[in-house]
Amino acid sequence: MKLVTAIIKPFKLDDVKSALEAYGIHGMTVSEASGYGRQRGHTEVYRGAEYTVDLVPKVRLEVLVEDHDADSVVEVIVKSAQTGRIGDGKVWSVPVDTVARVRTGERGPDAL
Amino acid sequence: MRVTADEATNTYAEARAELLARPGAPGAARRRALTALTDDWLHALYVASGAGEIGAALVAVGGLGRGDLAPGSDLDLLLLHNPNVSTAEVNSVADKLWYPVWDAGLRLDHSVRAPAEARRLAAQDIKVVLGLLDARTVVGDDALTKSVRESVLGDWRALAPRRLDELRLGVEERIARSGELAHLLEPDLKESYGGLRDLVALRAVAASWVTDAPVAALAPHRDLLLDVRDALHLVAGRPTDRLLQQEQTAVAQRLDLQGSDPSDSLLRQVSTAGRAVAYAADTTWHRVERLTRRSGVRGGLAATARKLRGTRTDRAPLADGVVVQDGEAVLATEARPERDAVLILRAAAAAAQAGLRLAPHAVDRLARDSAPMPEPWPASARDALVSLLGAGRAAIPVWEALDQADVWSRLIPEWSVVRSAPQRNPVHRFTVDRHLVETAIQSVAHARRVGRPDLLLIGALLHDIGKGRPGDHTDNGITIVQSLAPRMGFSPDDCDILVSLVRNHLLLPETATRRDLDDPATVAGVAAAVETQDVLDLLHALTEADAAATGPAAWSDWKKALIDDLVVRTRHELAGRPQPEAPRTTQAQLKLAEAVRLLSSQGVAVLLDEDEGTSITTVTVAAPDRTGLLSTVAGVLSLHRLQVRGAQVDTITAPDGSRRAVQVWTVTPAYGDPPPVERLREDVTRAVAGSLDVASRLDARDQAYAAPREVAAPRVDLVPGASERATVLEVRAHDAPALLHRVTRAIAAADVTITAARVATLGSEVVDVFYLVDRDGAVLSEARAATVRVTVLGALDPR
Repeated sequence: MKLVTAIIKPFKLDDVKSALEAYGIHGMTVSEASGYGRQRGHTEVYRGAEYTVDLVPKVRLEVLVEDHDADSVVEVIVKSAQTGRIGDGKVWSVPVDTVARVRTGERGPDAL
Repeated sequence: MRVTADEATNTYAEARAELLARPGAPGAARRRALTALTDDWLHALYVASGAGEIGAALVAVGGLGRGDLAPGSDLDLLLLHNPNVSTAEVNSVADKLWYPVWDAGLRLDHSVRAPAEARRLAAQDIKVVLGLLDARTVVGDDALTKSVRESVLGDWRALAPRRLDELRLGVEERIARSGELAHLLEPDLKESYGGLRDLVALRAVAASWVTDAPVAALAPHRDLLLDVRDALHLVAGRPTDRLLQQEQTAVAQRLDLQGSDPSDSLLRQVSTAGRAVAYAADTTWHRVERLTRRSGVRGGLAATARKLRGTRTDRAPLADGVVVQDGEAVLATEARPERDAVLILRAAAAAAQAGLRLAPHAVDRLARDSAPMPEPWPASARDALVSLLGAGRAAIPVWEALDQADVWSRLIPEWSVVRSAPQRNPVHRFTVDRHLVETAIQSVAHARRVGRPDLLLIGALLHDIGKGRPGDHTDNGITIVQSLAPRMGFSPDDCDILVSLVRNHLLLPETATRRDLDDPATVAGVAAAVETQDVLDLLHALTEADAAATGPAAWSDWKKALIDDLVVRTRHELAGRPQPEAPRTTQAQLKLAEAVRLLSSQGVAVLLDEDEGTSITTVTVAAPDRTGLLSTVAGVLSLHRLQVRGAQVDTITAPDGSRRAVQVWTVTPAYGDPPPVERLREDVTRAVAGSLDVASRLDARDQAYAAPREVAAPRVDLVPGASERATVLEVRAHDAPALLHRVTRAIAAADVTITAARVATLGSEVVDVFYLVDRDGAVLSEARAATVRVTVLGALDPR
């Protein structure tokens, strides 16, 4: 199993959600996040002041998937979150040892 | 032929990589070359973007604007455009400019503005002003850039008093955050006080026309800081401005610095530059404050000019040949430094005593024209130097002013070696010379306690004068003071006292923290070294001042209590009186009695006492005596994160006739409160019974610590003559968890008994001293002692 994490622009969340649902992913965790990368914290790209590095609001989205789905899910998120502008975000996946469903105690892929 | 943006970017990336990979030291020529390459590339991007057609200018600000781009610098770019161009058009052009820069992996600070907007932002944000000071048109309509610069500078000058105040507050915050470049072991070349940011701030002050700032005179220092930063970026491979110790040697090599210790020379050069910039900044800000505060609400240039003109009637006498003018000490019209060698010290003392600064022109004239000081110095010169130091804090700016003019190295030639010399010890806050001045100033607080305050101040000023030379700094210092003190005109008796202060300046702290004060040889040794009560008092004051000037890590209540105790005992010894009953011992004996009473036949007793106010905790442990007990208990204490400061060990006979070991430990919690005594008692009991494997628990914990970086090899020495009752073993090593446990385990393995231990931690270094006897309680034979030494060394350095 893999955990796919994506940091995306907040207004792209709906697009990403529908794209993932269309792919067959129905569960995800979404949280508010803030940070900066090469965009260097300019919220409005052309109105930044010199030297200030602020944190830009982003959305963090986490999805647990089976190994063979991970690459496609990353691809789906990249495609649907893309605006081509600086600050579009990042997507990564990491291996997951164990997943358990709290209600039933099911383990592994059954718990997804 | 038009070049596409991609082609230009590829050409730039190749040329940039080639330039940065060139061997040899960086320098101004390379910075210019990198700037030129970058300009060419931006030019091509600008042309390809079509910005020329909408009427715009691509403006470089910050480092690129100044032409001193470092390998890891951001590109600070501003696209200025005509106000009547549509947002869509501007955005499209900006995209074509910025995206290639991002895609090339460079860091970009960008903005897009119409001139009026730039002016408005500059009025709100001081950083925008600082950036625009260096604004330079890379390509495009230079008239746009000029109009922005002129309007922003006009506003800056009009509102100078308020805006400079804002800038100064920013500088003060930065000092609090990033420290002083001159004194840090790991300085930040940009942010620390005296660094590159301050050079920019000084240019901003000069641009305000409120007062001049010596920007041109600082150019060599600026170049040095930029060279070091370039080398640091190349060596570290990332855009950092903090000169970390791990990088210093490589940076020094990259800069082709020579000498036996290139990183030492690097720090010295950085410190010298930082000091010059900080001094210029101090003087400039002091002046700004004087000129802007007094010009009142209306402020402005007219008031400033009135102040600058000054009038004769403002002058008030301060000392012979020294007057106050406009809040600074200046030379009187009749003053003749070329005929009056002492004037320089008299002026310094008068200024410091009045809490004033010496005006820069007075410093210049004194430094340039002063007659050489006759040797030996006249009494008035000595008095003036003492009076300068005796002024306390106020002496520092005066001292620094004369230091910048290289006055001290001329008056005291030996000073040049300690000047800006780095202290290779994280306990220290300051460079050697500043530490000496700080010590003298700290000792002012103790002046009433000693018979000869003048000798205290001069002794404090000279105690570390032997540093920065090969060999032992105390030995060097003795040689120096033996020739220096007579030249300064001190009488032979006073010279002897000064030499004794230098020779013994570490005697009290080292003896108090590393020797058993109950051993008669300890106090006798100190008494023999200091010889008189007067010297003892002077040393006591010097020790406290030295510690206070060193840094917070060099002093603690624990250390003070030990030193005070040693001084009291030595005083009795010198007076031939019997030693007083030391309260520390009585306390320990009470504990012993209690511990013995509590002992069941096989049991272990653990008592814990917290001393309110000193954060010192006493742990008393009584247990059946066996070899290795000390090591076991040391391990348990370490498991509970208690740092051991000292240990006293005794063996007594319990009521049932069995032998009991009683240990009294002085500990401080590494953080927070000491653990509950029940838990400590339980763990000690289990460890003594063998059901708690202390060694493996500690090993497991050690795994969690990162291996220390390169540290000096540990040293283990036998100290002959330190005690008549035991063999004294001194261990110096880099601090590590459970170090004491490992050492005592090794000693136990050699079948030797520890009767007392002193443990001192100085920053990251520990000095542990053990008093050892054999099974019969006798001093170890030479061969036996040598074996123990090797065993302990082996335990410390398993490699």
